[in-house]
Amino acid sequence: MKKKIRQFLSEQEGVKPFLGFIIIFVFCIIFSPVSSKGNLVFLKFDNLANVLRQVSEIGVISVGMTLVILTGGIDLSVGSVLALTATTTAFGIMDWQLGFFLTVLLGLMAGSIAGFINGALTSWGKIQSFITTLAMMTAARGFALFISGMNSRNIGFGAQAAPESFKIFTTSFFGIPFPVFMFILITLIFVVILRKIRLGRYIYAIGSNEVAARLAGLRVNLIRTAAFAFCGLLAGLAGIIHAAQLFQGNPNDGIGFELDAIAAVVIGGTSLQGGRGTLEGTFAGVLIIGLLSNILGLHGVQKDFQLMLKGAIIVVAVLLQERNWRFKFSFLKR
Amino acid sequence: MLEFHQITKSFSGVEVLHQISFSVKSGKIIALVGENGAGKSTLMKILCGIFPDHDGQIFYNGQEIRPRNPREAEHLGIAMIHQELNLVPDLTIGENIFLGKEPLQPLGRVDFNRLYADSDQILQEFQFPYSPKIKVRNLTVGWKQMVEIAKALQVQARILIMDEPTSALSEHEIQTMFEKMRYLKNQGKTIIFISHRLREVYDISDEIVILRDGRYVGKYLKPEISREQLINLMIGHELSSRISDEQNDTDSAEIFSVKDLTVRLTQGMELAGIDFTICRGEILGIAGLLGAGRTELLKFLFGEMKTSYKGKITFSGKSWVPHSARESIRQRMVYLSEDRQTEGIFPHHHIQFNGTLTYLENLSRFGFVQESRERAIIDTKFDELRVKRRTLRQPILTLSGGNQQKVLLSRILLVNPLLLLLDEPTRGIDVGAKEEIYQLIERLSQQGAAIIVTSSEIPELLRMAQRILVLSNGQQTALLTARQTSPPEILQYAFKRI
Repeated sequence: MKKKIRQFLSEQEGVKPFLGFIIIFVFCIIFSPVSSKGNLVFLKFDNLANVLRQVSEIGVISVGMTLVILTGGIDLSVGSVLALTATTTAFGIMDWQLGFFLTVLLGLMAGSIAGFINGALTSWGKIQSFITTLAMMTAARGFALFISGMNSRNIGFGAQAAPESFKIFTTSFFGIPFPVFMFILITLIFVVILRKIRLGRYIYAIGSNEVAARLAGLRVNLIRTAAFAFCGLLAGLAGIIHAAQLFQGNPNDGIGFELDAIAAVVIGGTSLQGGRGTLEGTFAGVLIIGLLSNILGLHGVQKDFQLMLKGAIIVVAVLLQERNWRFKFSFLKR
Repeated sequence: MLEFHQITKSFSGVEVLHQISFSVKSGKIIALVGENGAGKSTLMKILCGIFPDHDGQIFYNGQEIRPRNPREAEHLGIAMIHQELNLVPDLTIGENIFLGKEPLQPLGRVDFNRLYADSDQILQEFQFPYSPKIKVRNLTVGWKQMVEIAKALQVQARILIMDEPTSALSEHEIQTMFEKMRYLKNQGKTIIFISHRLREVYDISDEIVILRDGRYVGKYLKPEISREQLINLMIGHELSSRISDEQNDTDSAEIFSVKDLTVRLTQGMELAGIDFTICRGEILGIAGLLGAGRTELLKFLFGEMKTSYKGKITFSGKSWVPHSARESIRQRMVYLSEDRQTEGIFPHHHIQFNGTLTYLENLSRFGFVQESRERAIIDTKFDELRVKRRTLRQPILTLSGGNQQKVLLSRILLVNPLLLLLDEPTRGIDVGAKEEIYQLIERLSQQGAAIIVTSSEIPELLRMAQRILVLSNGQQTALLTARQTSPPEILQYAFKRI
């Protein structure tokens, strides 16, 4: 039995980050502030829903980031792409009168095109993805500022404004906010892609050994470009959600989101070298970050201290991933 | 007096040196010869501390030495001059000679006056024509090699190890190098040098030490041994019986032919005069020394090298333009890389993933991988090739080299190939697995596949192949019938353009 557990731990990579998540969750319960009625504030449904809502944009971005990092690349442009599609969404619905579907489509297209360019330049241009996406990070931000004339655009409802259908983004299903619903749905879809679809295997293969993948007959450039395009698409989706949540498209939003997403992926156990990692891990990584921010927020810890702690968490999480957990679970041997 | 006593060394279970014992006198030039993979470089790396974990002992002037790293070896007076030059191009000759050992002024600043004075002295003694203040970047390869030697002199090395010192040098530079080597010998230094060029071995050495398959064969004074005897000793007499003799030209359907092919490769190398045809069920061996262009030829034919070429290639009756690995595989031409670790396996993944990747398109519907079919098919293949495994989800890195190789062979065999390009299929695997791979190759040829196989071990090629194509420095120098040739003849052709 114990042997089986150990084998499970070593074969199922996504499990380690989930154990981390559970530990953090328990930690949060223990350190939760207690309300005047004697309830744990942390465990309140509203609070937990809040945690999920706060992480859902970064969560959607992290899914795409995981794909790119698995191929051995990196995407620094996701924050800017989010700002760009948030802007096109606000303008599309308010000024360009595109209606609900075309506005959403425009945002998703803008995101995937940005991702496609990243991937194509990296693959066929043979430029490191750090550079191509750094360029895209700058250019997409510029484009967003150009569209908006440097100002944010508010989304209003009523007389001269957005169609009612746009409110779907702010509704809740059974108390679960729409962005959270999207985050979970997207994660599930891409878990299936990585685990069951050929493309998923190919993504792991080129990240694990690019030369071997090419010699095995894979279209390495195409596959890598697809990963970047998906990443852009999801950043675009996150941008639409972002605009709908804030009722505003702001070309200056999303700064630093790429780093939060990379942090979540890394905490989730995906190797920055590529080829190794899981989306389940990334999901856990996103939740870990969300829980920690939440419990610190509940205690009124200020942003300065939160950021310092977040830095420490990233390092600790990666150290725990690198060390074999056999050491941690030596008690299972007996 | 330097003495090796029963040196044995294994890499991950594969023994590369077996109980090597011999001794050499000081003040001599000793040539260390043997085929590729005979263990020459490994032995020298042990001597200079790069591989400290070996069995057996080394004695120097009666005292046991066991350098744990190159720095310790230097303190003992042993310095290695590497094939790849370890110089910093943008530093001066003097700075390179004293790299990491710069003389310092009291306050810790580098004492350049002393540095240049000292290097000048070393270089003078060595009759080096350049000032030590010149940047190394401006020197030719030959003189860079001299700077390497000067570095060894700076640490007062008494034993100099040179690994193929002449491989990148022009004829003139070689003569200069030999002059310096003789000078050092007269100074009482011992020089052990590794070379493939037998002519040079006879030119410069006093004694010749022969290794074969990681074993010591013998030590000879130069006049004692003729060139032909030397070649025979390098490759060994005993050849195993040839398994491919009977079924020659049974089925003469031509599968692949190359007419007068010239390929310009990068780094100034060229494949030239390549001309052969191969039929169903035939095995063609490619022989050649290290750097003769065997791998380059296979990779070119497979479409892995995007480069211009002249000549005519046909594959299953149609004109063939090497385009990409993907296209080749679609036409059922497959390639096994010589470099299993960096070009073959996916190290993070299990053997099922590694085995089915190329065939995955045939194992999926609407993009979904049909895993039960996948498992069944790869399991059958693994059984057929006798891959030793616990489960299909076993990480590939937990398999031995031979079993990893069998997984990679499974990968390419799943597409049911017409033509197999196998680059050193038996490199770095144990004897038992080698035997299994010989048998597999024979079986595949009986089933009608055409196979082109390379190996740096000539007896192995003679055992597997019906015909042997010999490459020398990128040029095809012979196309021999295996039954009517011998290792010395093949080696003669392999040395022809060198």
